[in-house]
Amino acid sequence: MERERFLAAVAANVTAGVLPAPPPITTGPPSLPDVDLIETFCTRLGVIGGHAHRCAIGEAVRQILDLLGEHAATAVLAWDDLPVPRLASLLQESGVELLASSMPADRGERAAHLGGYLGLAAGLTGADAGLAESGSVVLSHGPGRPRLASLAPEVHIALLPASRIVRSLAHFLAADPVVVARTANLVVITGPSRTADIEQRLTIGVHGPRHIHVVVLDDA
Amino acid sequence: MVSEPRSRVTQRVPTAPVDPKTTPVTFLGRAKLDLGSDKVAAVEDGARRLYRHRAEAVAEYPAMEEMRARARAGRMSALRNLDRLLARFADQVEATGGKVWWAGDAAEANAIVTRIAADAGAGLVAKSKSMVTEETELNHALEAAGIEVVETDLGEFIVQLGNDRPSHLIAPVLHTTRYDVARLFADRLGVAYTDVPEELNDIARTHLRRVFLSADVGVSGVNIGIADTGTVILVTNEGNGRFVTSAPRVHIAMMGMERLVETVDEAAAVLEVLARSGTGQRLSVYTTMLTGPRRPGDPDGPDELHVVILDNGRSRVLGSNVAEVLACIRCGACLNVCPVYRRVGGHSYGSVYGGPVGAVLTPALEGPEQWADLPYASTLCGACREVCPVGIDLPGLLLASRANTALRGGLEPGLRRAVRAYAAVAARPRAWGLALAAAGQTARLLPGKGWIESLPWYGSAWTDSRHLPRPAARSFRQRWKERRSGA
Amino acid sequence: MLRVPPVQLLVTCLVDALVPGVGEAVVEVLERRGLDVAFPEAQTCCGQPAFNAGLSAEAARMAAHTVTVLDATEGPIVVPSGSCTAFLVHHAPELLAGEPEAEAAQRVAGRLRELSLFLSDDLAEDVGMEAVESVRVAWHPSCHGLRELGITDEPHRLLAGVEGVERVEIAGADECCGFGGLFSVEMPEISAAILRAKLDAIEASGAEVIAGGDVSCLLHIGGGLRKRGSAVRVCHLAELLAGRAEGW
Repeated sequence: MERERFLAAVAANVTAGVLPAPPPITTGPPSLPDVDLIETFCTRLGVIGGHAHRCAIGEAVRQILDLLGEHAATAVLAWDDLPVPRLASLLQESGVELLASSMPADRGERAAHLGGYLGLAAGLTGADAGLAESGSVVLSHGPGRPRLASLAPEVHIALLPASRIVRSLAHFLAADPVVVARTANLVVITGPSRTADIEQRLTIGVHGPRHIHVVVLDDA
Repeated sequence: MVSEPRSRVTQRVPTAPVDPKTTPVTFLGRAKLDLGSDKVAAVEDGARRLYRHRAEAVAEYPAMEEMRARARAGRMSALRNLDRLLARFADQVEATGGKVWWAGDAAEANAIVTRIAADAGAGLVAKSKSMVTEETELNHALEAAGIEVVETDLGEFIVQLGNDRPSHLIAPVLHTTRYDVARLFADRLGVAYTDVPEELNDIARTHLRRVFLSADVGVSGVNIGIADTGTVILVTNEGNGRFVTSAPRVHIAMMGMERLVETVDEAAAVLEVLARSGTGQRLSVYTTMLTGPRRPGDPDGPDELHVVILDNGRSRVLGSNVAEVLACIRCGACLNVCPVYRRVGGHSYGSVYGGPVGAVLTPALEGPEQWADLPYASTLCGACREVCPVGIDLPGLLLASRANTALRGGLEPGLRRAVRAYAAVAARPRAWGLALAAAGQTARLLPGKGWIESLPWYGSAWTDSRHLPRPAARSFRQRWKERRSGA
Repeated sequence: MLRVPPVQLLVTCLVDALVPGVGEAVVEVLERRGLDVAFPEAQTCCGQPAFNAGLSAEAARMAAHTVTVLDATEGPIVVPSGSCTAFLVHHAPELLAGEPEAEAAQRVAGRLRELSLFLSDDLAEDVGMEAVESVRVAWHPSCHGLRELGITDEPHRLLAGVEGVERVEIAGADECCGFGGLFSVEMPEISAAILRAKLDAIEASGAEVIAGGDVSCLLHIGGGLRKRGSAVRVCHLAELLAGRAEGW
């Protein structure tokens, strides 16, 4: 259908129906009590089955290696820009294989490339923000930041500078609404992949990672 | 690689639509098939559990009422400006490299999706959960065009394998037990029988992972569209919504035209109340905000993004006395709390949208002919309005819907005559007084004393499960008169 | 001495025809508080049954009659029903908008008081109530009173003032009993299924009497209790306040 015809049908009805007037409202961040952001973030992430690990930037490599070891992961799909200096080379020096993150344009190559993600053990990403209220991490994707790193593997490790933890999703979006338009893909991740479709029994890891570890980097 | 997942999924029969020849044509008729069954007991358990989770989540979020008001305001204002917002949304989607398609009805929407998929050379379409594609029965159209389509939400996957229908807006297989799923997986996927949910989950994970990674096209619905930015928001717990919009080369998002809000701030308000109201989570696991297809330099994501905007009766609803129902954000809270839904399950409503919101939406979208009795499938207890995250006055809309359908098959003719006769008497006080006196006299002639235990014909609708109070020998007004004259 | 304004009683059709004792109890309770009670005798049914049936024209005719009768009186209008009050307050003005009775509907809506709200909000609560023989009472909050009028703790406060009443709770008390007016006869099997759960909860509560503010729901629950041979009785709040706890 033509756009004009479609919109004309909407316009013809838009004032005809019975619609209550919108109540007067405020915009911006909602009023929530002050909390210790880092503490709340870690607690809430734990409640939904994620794991928070607080550490100094200098200990980050050790922490990541420990986590990879814990999950027996030797290959990692990682973002290029991570908030720890020389992280990639340090990991490689420790024997961790870093996978190519860019998807080929060619259809056949693309399929083969994606096939490589079938048994992927771990993904390593940064995070644009942490949300204390919900224990979420916000990931903005773009060059050097593959979406699949936080989705395809069994384990997702996100590196979150503590200073980036804000009160809630509404606070994050109110502070910078344009953030959603600056990337083709912004995702808010709140715990490990889960479903309760079968008899309302909570089951972890139906499609996305079964484990999410957020390394909260003390950057104060 | 591409052909690999065509294993056993292709062997299933297509999902059956509601067949009016074999399905009872009335709500009550359909409900009676399920009333008291294990299937409905499972629905009630699940609905009550979701309701409890919601109550806890709402109680612990101090900004709930503020965000409800903001979500409501955002949705109402979007509906009041929908033509302008749709134009802006479409402009923004196209400015970010997406393509917008306009579909007047289900057939047109399905044809558009099928054509895009065929042009993309798709043999396999991976689909994430979407009510709007259930509404258009997209899967039939794709299958008829020889394109395999696999539902990837675990619940919808179970529905598809079992040739079943979803029974809840956000929990499609609320009516199914794990033993049903166990048998289904063993039969259709050729795996060893297990009824352990975790193991069933792993079977689906393995099976569907190959679907995600080899599908040429991903199809999703849209939870929220932001007009200001041209952003499409998807909310999922499993991650399938992320997969179908990240791995396949082409992403098609089908959106009911009313899904919009204008600003990011309004979208935030909706997101803050959506999961809390639906499952009791603070946020669903994955809130994905998509603005255009993959950009230059992006390592992954679809090369093409198509947004198919669907009317399919919505503009008519927008111009009606139940326009407010279009503000629904599909959280399912009104289903979970509804005493009728809890007893009859989602299938009784006969369409993809069940519960109080479906009882309003379906006759409004599709016309009252087949659905005139749906607005009567409610006790008007008002619990739905109390839990609605955008404050939709569902009892008010059910009443407005009844006024729309009462004379078009909604009200059973015998009851219609009875109510009319009653109204005629009530409009004349003298006749009313005489009628009460006559009822009192007649009641004495009925057998027994006290409550009436059994009545014939229409009366049995009451007395089959309840005794009926006997009209008083002397009405209140008679007693009042006697008292005053005696005084 | 200050003249107390008269109170108009809108007794409701169900009380008028089926349980006139409830109306008499309301009169007693009001008079004991020193109020003059008037009963506008031209009142019939407010129109809610037709409105809920979707028959707007018939509902408007009945509502027009009701508001005309009530508008000719003065003082607060007390109603022993949350449901009828909610209809006349929230729906009748809308239904009669543009009709000759539109203004009367608005005025009447402003004067209407559901009984328990009137007794606890408009009057001092410590006006003595009759004592009853020791009895276990559970409150059934009818949906329209609860959700359209916001009646929550008022009846409980009133019941707490009745000597001899021991209060118990029904699990899931705020869930609908399945009556729904016309719904109970148009979809009787579903109505009965909802009622069954309510009756189970009632019997598990240990209550001897179920008190409520709406005769409609009480007739539904009471009829269900009778059908299953239960000894639990139902009664209207006004009856307990008037010292009558035997129920029906």
